[in-house]
Amino acid sequence: MSVGFIGAGQLAFALARGFTAAGILAAHKITASSPDTDLPTVSGLRKMGVNFTVSNKDTVKSSDVLFLAVKPPIIPFILEEVGPDIEPRHIVVSCAAGVTIGSIEKKLSTFCPTPKVIRCMTNTPVVVREGATVYATGTHADVEDGKLLEQLMASVGFCTEVEEDLIDAVTGLSGSGPAYAFTALDALADGGVKMGIPRRLAVRLGAQALLGAAKMLLESEQHPGQLKDNVCSPGGATIHALHFLESGGFRSLLINAVEASCIRTRELQHLADQEKISPAAIKKTLLDKVKMESPSLSSKVSLFTNKSPSSKKN
Amino acid sequence: GKVPASNILASAPSDKNLDAWRESGCRTTHCNLEVLQDTTLVFLATKPHILPGVLQEIRPAVGPHHIVVSMAAGVSLQTLQRLLPAGTKVLRLMPNLPCVVQAGAMVFARGSGAGDGEAALLKNLLSSCGLCEEVPESYINIHTGLSGSGVAYVYLFAEALAEGAVKMGMPVGLASRIAAQTLLGAAKMMLETGEHPAKLRGDVCTPGGTTIHALHQLEKGALRATVMNAVEAATNRACDVAKD
Repeated sequence: MSVGFIGAGQLAFALARGFTAAGILAAHKITASSPDTDLPTVSGLRKMGVNFTVSNKDTVKSSDVLFLAVKPPIIPFILEEVGPDIEPRHIVVSCAAGVTIGSIEKKLSTFCPTPKVIRCMTNTPVVVREGATVYATGTHADVEDGKLLEQLMASVGFCTEVEEDLIDAVTGLSGSGPAYAFTALDALADGGVKMGIPRRLAVRLGAQALLGAAKMLLESEQHPGQLKDNVCSPGGATIHALHFLESGGFRSLLINAVEASCIRTRELQHLADQEKISPAAIKKTLLDKVKMESPSLSSKVSLFTNKSPSSKKN
Repeated sequence: GKVPASNILASAPSDKNLDAWRESGCRTTHCNLEVLQDTTLVFLATKPHILPGVLQEIRPAVGPHHIVVSMAAGVSLQTLQRLLPAGTKVLRLMPNLPCVVQAGAMVFARGSGAGDGEAALLKNLLSSCGLCEEVPESYINIHTGLSGSGVAYVYLFAEALAEGAVKMGMPVGLASRIAAQTLLGAAKMMLETGEHPAKLRGDVCTPGGTTIHALHQLEKGALRATVMNAVEAATNRACDVAKD
């Protein structure tokens, strides 16, 4: 089985690293493409032994499982470009936040009558094989196709199938989740530093504390509230600290964050659905990208030249 | 039904409250000493500032057979023991209002003269009024903040629930009764299942449903921290009052 990535940014890099580390796929069975060869992840992919090309069409031709690992606004452009090369054997896996299976199938149907489409939402910790992935299968994707993807994604973390209408919520929770954790860890480390712990040690201890807590929860039958109680001796240090968290509305902030990310994902999908771009305009922008960019070019072209290509940053 | 009314003797300086006692079949008197002479288990149920005077008064009549249970807020076992004959069996009890409907929450602590027998007797007797647990004396002020005053927090919450329902169009009488029953039912589930309240809360929350939307509002209002503040404030106040 060979795997291709349209897009060679953070997501493609993380998944490629995860798959190879898991031993489920050899690097030379992976192809990644991007018009932008200056991305830092490109050299990383090359070093790993992944086949890198500037031609998206080449990636499609040499893959069975094709990951669309570009930012959501770029998906329609990609589908127009590689649509003609999609064959019945291809499993097209979109990782783009907010992009519906329906919209992908619609775009591909002009080229291919029964495209196999799977939509997935994963997250960056796939790079250390602790990803959280959900997927929903499209109209023409079989159970085996879903299972194949599940096998791939399970090699880099937790993976389960869901109804498509949950995926935006998953984006808010575990898609964006690592960012919430990084923010929390940065702040915890600050707390440690304030109380006298050297920064490096503070970061290490904070991260280990969260890692350990998460592991305890995943391995326990108990409710997190119960696990919390187990740490809080009456009148002790922890309960005093928790009171501060509650006073600051810690819980509601987290609920708000998940909600905001989910709502934004839906908004972006909505905006994308309303996009009316003529094929001629798409061709022009693609051609323009191949030439050197100039400051006067429109924002659409600047999307292609954006150096932070992770689709989940939306 | 643990004690026949005729075995209960209550004393007070005036008849103001004693009628109610007599109506239940209890005997009454205006003489505190008579209570000591006629009974073994003596509850001190005066206001805290009156207690020292009462203790001085009854001290001569207190014997080794007596079990003295003080319910005066803020009066420590040490103080009680100092004002009574050495070795007197003294216990300190903190009940709460719903004892009246046999759904009270009570804690008691024993003094140095009170043994297992006295503790068991008290616990047995008081279990007829609700939950009764023995605790270290240091927990008594916390119990005040949690449950003594806590009853008022619940009334406040019930009123607010009902008000919300009234806003949405329900008559206040019905809303109030339903609010109370909701609290009663939830509390009963907690006590009978022994499950963690967080788990019970999760069980009610269907994904994307009404409950989780409402809970989000409560979290936004930092309800948890506010409640913690309340318990802390009442407990601290109990400690302060005790020092006076």
